[in-house]
Amino acid sequence: MRTPIAYFLVVSAMLFTVGTVGVLVRKNALVIFMSVELQLNAVNLALVAFSRMHGNLNGQVLAFFSMVVAAAEVVVGLAIIVSVYRRRHSANVDDASLLRW
Amino acid sequence: MLKVIWLVPALPLVGFVVNLFLGRRLGRLAGVLASLLMLGAFGVGLGVLNDLVTLPAHSRVFVKHLYDWISVGSFHVAVDLRVDPLSVTMMLVVTGVGALIHIYSIGYMDGDPRYGRFFSYLNLFCFFMLTLVLAENFLLLYFGWEGVGLCSYLLIGFWFERPAAANAAKKAFVVTRIGDTFMLIGIVLVFLRFGSLDFARVLVSPASSFGIATFPPPGVYTVIALLLLAGAIGKSAQMPLHVWLPDAMEGPTPVSALIHAATMVTAGVYLVARTHVFFEVSGVASAVVLIVGLVTALYAATAALGQDDIKRVLAYSTISQLGFMFFALGMHAYAAAIFLLVTHAFYKALMFLSAGSVMHGLENETDLKKMGRLAKVMPITATVFSIGALAIAGVPPFAGFFSKDQILAAADQTGHVTAWIVALVAAFFSALYISRLIFLAFFGQDRTGRHAHESPPVMTVPLMLLAVGAAAGGLLGLSAVTGKLQGFLSWDLGATAEPARGLSDGVLSAISVAVAAAGILVGFLVYGSGKIDWLALRTRMGSFQRFLSKGWYLDDVYAAVLVAPGKSVAAFLAYVFDRRFVDGMVNGVGVLFQRLASVGRLVQTGLVRNYALAFLLGAVVIFVFVGLKF
Amino acid sequence: MPLDNVVFWVFAPISVGSAVAMLFQRNAVHAALFLIVNFFTLAVFYLVLGAPFLFAVQIIVYAGAIMVLFLFVIMLLGVDRDESLIERLKGQRPLAILLGLGLATEMVVAVRAGVGFARRGPANFDTLVNKGGNAAALSRVLFRDYFFPFEVTSVLLIIAAIAAMVLAHRQQKAITRAEQAAAEEESAA
Repeated sequence: MRTPIAYFLVVSAMLFTVGTVGVLVRKNALVIFMSVELQLNAVNLALVAFSRMHGNLNGQVLAFFSMVVAAAEVVVGLAIIVSVYRRRHSANVDDASLLRW
Repeated sequence: MLKVIWLVPALPLVGFVVNLFLGRRLGRLAGVLASLLMLGAFGVGLGVLNDLVTLPAHSRVFVKHLYDWISVGSFHVAVDLRVDPLSVTMMLVVTGVGALIHIYSIGYMDGDPRYGRFFSYLNLFCFFMLTLVLAENFLLLYFGWEGVGLCSYLLIGFWFERPAAANAAKKAFVVTRIGDTFMLIGIVLVFLRFGSLDFARVLVSPASSFGIATFPPPGVYTVIALLLLAGAIGKSAQMPLHVWLPDAMEGPTPVSALIHAATMVTAGVYLVARTHVFFEVSGVASAVVLIVGLVTALYAATAALGQDDIKRVLAYSTISQLGFMFFALGMHAYAAAIFLLVTHAFYKALMFLSAGSVMHGLENETDLKKMGRLAKVMPITATVFSIGALAIAGVPPFAGFFSKDQILAAADQTGHVTAWIVALVAAFFSALYISRLIFLAFFGQDRTGRHAHESPPVMTVPLMLLAVGAAAGGLLGLSAVTGKLQGFLSWDLGATAEPARGLSDGVLSAISVAVAAAGILVGFLVYGSGKIDWLALRTRMGSFQRFLSKGWYLDDVYAAVLVAPGKSVAAFLAYVFDRRFVDGMVNGVGVLFQRLASVGRLVQTGLVRNYALAFLLGAVVIFVFVGLKF
Repeated sequence: MPLDNVVFWVFAPISVGSAVAMLFQRNAVHAALFLIVNFFTLAVFYLVLGAPFLFAVQIIVYAGAIMVLFLFVIMLLGVDRDESLIERLKGQRPLAILLGLGLATEMVVAVRAGVGFARRGPANFDTLVNKGGNAAALSRVLFRDYFFPFEVTSVLLIIAAIAAMVLAHRQQKAITRAEQAAAEEESAA
């Protein structure tokens, strides 16, 4: 493999940034949630790249755990979005601003 | 018996606790229990006296250490009881007279709804009073001092349903508190300058010391003496803090007898006698004591003449007699003062209790104008009252003659001739007001308009016992030089020397008897003979009569000079300073933070994405920070 | 040019491009589809980096199961409602982009300082580390060194399942028997 590891890390950083900006600029709770998933995957890519760089499998195992936790997180997060939607009939996060002054 | 001295204050304390919790259940037994405990304390006191006189004459003092009370740094205070001739004398007066008054109260308070509580308070008072006189250090003395003040408050206001009683209790408490505050400052000063509060270490005459150069300069003695004297003046109702005592007669009569005649009010005399070392060093303080006593004796004797309330006459009489005691203290005639204290305890308790017996027979009537001819229906009361009156007037051979005569003699023989003449005038008025009381209440025409009756034996027996004391109490100290009591007290208070100048004892006695006889004679002519219409005389001298009955208008002067400005200052502080300034500051702080918060809370938009943005900002900043560090 | 380099240069633009494209979709379904494309490119990267097991898991679990769940919820909440892309929060969008660029710059600088752009992984990764196949090697590490965390994640999954049920379960209003009787009476009348 001739590609420098840093290339994958830069891609990972770019994806993570895109995910971050997505969380900040989108209003639909589902899209925000997808952006969070993108951030998670960016980190997974970095972990696998580090695994390759260090020549052991610990990074891959960590990415594997990350996926499992992400699965659990998605289940709970989507359930929350569904129950919020039921109550307020909106998936717009700006509509749920009860905890203000 | 010396080692069980703690029993003396402990027995009344037991009575207090038992009657406090079980008083309602015990019924009449409460009084019997309280009286028995007081008799027990008196018995123990006699045993202590018996042991004390067996001690060698040069070291008649015994200190019983009970426990360490306070131990902070160099400040050590123990609960120690001091047994010496002075404290034993006081203790016997308190327990002896106290026990008789307790017995009397069984009959007098019968039927009162708070019967048990009365005796528990009375026992508590005796506990505190005994602590006061037996204390070995200033702090324990102060503990008893404030405790008797508390009991005085509780007992004056015992019938607190009556506004007059509640107000009198309040007045007594506040007025004595003025003196007590000065006294506390004095005690603090004692500790600061002497490093100890124990009598054994503080009350050492600098003249008799073994060259220990730790004694403060005489100025300090003067300041401490004056501060302690302020406390004594408040407690003993001397000018100018005497105003509470006449009002204190709102309390039940046994209370007036025990607290406001026989014991508590003499605590000031005891204090000055106990700390006489200070007064001997400081001539200024002695002079102040002398003047205060003399002025009070004369003032109160005249004011007593204007009173129509039998108890108020006796109250002013008490103030006057206490003035005589202070007068004696001011002349360093301590033994004479204590002698008068003892005999006064007998005859004044006797007279108060007799007055109570009169009130008992007349459905609580206290107005002299509505009495008269009571000797017919109340022979025992009239007899014992007359014995007390003769004693107070200074007729031989009754107790008052010896004690008062020795004070008057001391005045002349120590060179205070002017003071001696003023004291003679006061003695004349004493004889006058007491004969007025006797003739108006027990002789002359019957103005009662109701059927009076003699009191039950439970009240008259203590009266008769006290009458024996009032009649024969003089035997304790027939002469200032060789008297038994004076000799006994000489360990504490120093022996009285043979008079070096002035008139001889016999001449002096003749003069004082003549003065007393003159007073009684004038009293008989005006109030007893029926030849002079004293009511008409009284209306003719209306303004003077009012001047006397109002106690020289001192209460009104205080109300105008002290109370009214005090109230307006308090009103200013409460309604202007506190409400505007203090509250304004507190509210201002609140408003300030309210304003700040109303701006600051706008940060909380409730929008998740705003929060996320702040989150990212923080992350970027921390990243920069960490990057710069490596 | 080695094969893996070619693969990287082909898929990296697709990966970043699909992620950016996801941001600009008004419709949530389109966004989800772009995300799936992105996940596929990540799977390819995993393969290149010597993680064929994760490659499979990424496609099956992520691009498959999780994204299907997303689409399912999107359908449930109403697929026809397009999100307005007009930003009402003042300064939110420029600040987000600015801070995002700042973060990206910082991360690239960190990669340059910490790893360096010339560094490559060990050449014999597949023969040495992935000995006996990646799946077998990975499971050796997983069950030998990470056994306890592995078991804990199973508990986590069960809890997540229960939590989802509790959250999504529509609460029936509890009524007393008297209220029930009254309601029946009313319906009868």
